[in-house]
Amino acid sequence: MLYDLRRADVRIKWLVTGLLATLGLSYLFGAVMVALYAGFTPQSVAATYAGPEMSMAMPPETTMVVQRPMSMADFAGPEVHTVDTNLLIQDTHVHVPMYGLIAAALGVVVAGLSLPRRRALGLIGLLFAAPWLDFAGMWLTKLASPRFAIVTLAGGWAMAVAYLVVAALAVHQMWVSPERG
Amino acid sequence: MNFVIRAAAIAALFHITPVVVLVKRPDAVQSLLPGADAYTAREVHLSGRDAHRLHEAVDWSPEDGVVVFYAGTAGSTAVGALEFVRVDTPHGPIEVAVGFTPQGAVRGVVVTKATVEMKPWVLEAVAAGLTDHYRGLKPGGEAPGGAAGIASRVGSLAAYVAGEVDKGVARALAAYGAFYNHVRA
Repeated sequence: MLYDLRRADVRIKWLVTGLLATLGLSYLFGAVMVALYAGFTPQSVAATYAGPEMSMAMPPETTMVVQRPMSMADFAGPEVHTVDTNLLIQDTHVHVPMYGLIAAALGVVVAGLSLPRRRALGLIGLLFAAPWLDFAGMWLTKLASPRFAIVTLAGGWAMAVAYLVVAALAVHQMWVSPERG
Repeated sequence: MNFVIRAAAIAALFHITPVVVLVKRPDAVQSLLPGADAYTAREVHLSGRDAHRLHEAVDWSPEDGVVVFYAGTAGSTAVGALEFVRVDTPHGPIEVAVGFTPQGAVRGVVVTKATVEMKPWVLEAVAAGLTDHYRGLKPGGEAPGGAAGIASRVGSLAAYVAGEVDKGVARALAAYGAFYNHVRA
């Protein structure tokens, strides 16, 4: 094969290492951002994406008022970060192309690894399937049932696992056990 | 390569950054309802007709069709009421707390939330005295003009976000004027 990272020029190896390190950094901060705004449990993800739209009631015939006492502690209660439909449309429009480009970049790295063809195809498939799962889960959580939050979690973890596998294999093959001569 | 650069530029341009709390709600409540020691949430569930009327007036549909006022009292004396109003912008949402005196005039305005991207614009606008321009406004009276009031002293982005705060105050005024005292529990 013409393109083989084991035998690649050191400049190519350095470029791929830089790409992996940069993507790793962005994934790390992506995980911190998820922890801050959506959480890692199906319940917290469902609360973020399902939102009140899942239980929207019909408006009353006439405007009515419900009063209840509040304490200062009620004002300080934890607020759930929510993503409504408009924001999810915009997020999908922005993130999916970027995820596609990231999957493509990592896929190019996979193509240069010494892997059996089936494993390489599977890994490239996982790189692209993970963001699909991520966003499919968000939309299904919003439109169908909060239970689909698990799909978003699966997609997020799949992205992390796919990145780690590609990065570990690439670093190992380029720098730890490169083919001699 | 050109496609990659353009895609990254578009992504950077349209990416909505997360929302951050600028002023905690309890702090906003204490600032806008000074001295209050008891609070009541007054949830006004709008009929389809009233929701449409509000939308026509200020281009706003409150979440779930419910406007929530928080009234404060000190002993048996009314201190006033406040609303938290969300304004969606192309850069993400901001939240504006608008407090009213018992006479129905705006006592004060606090921007409680903004996106990371808009935070410096909001801080610049507030530092330029944005919220001073809303004091004393009454429903049905003069339109909020905070953006115009600070335009000569701030950059274009701070002036832009001030216009969004104007919208939030206009919505709070419209809701307060139409529904706070005119719908009985």
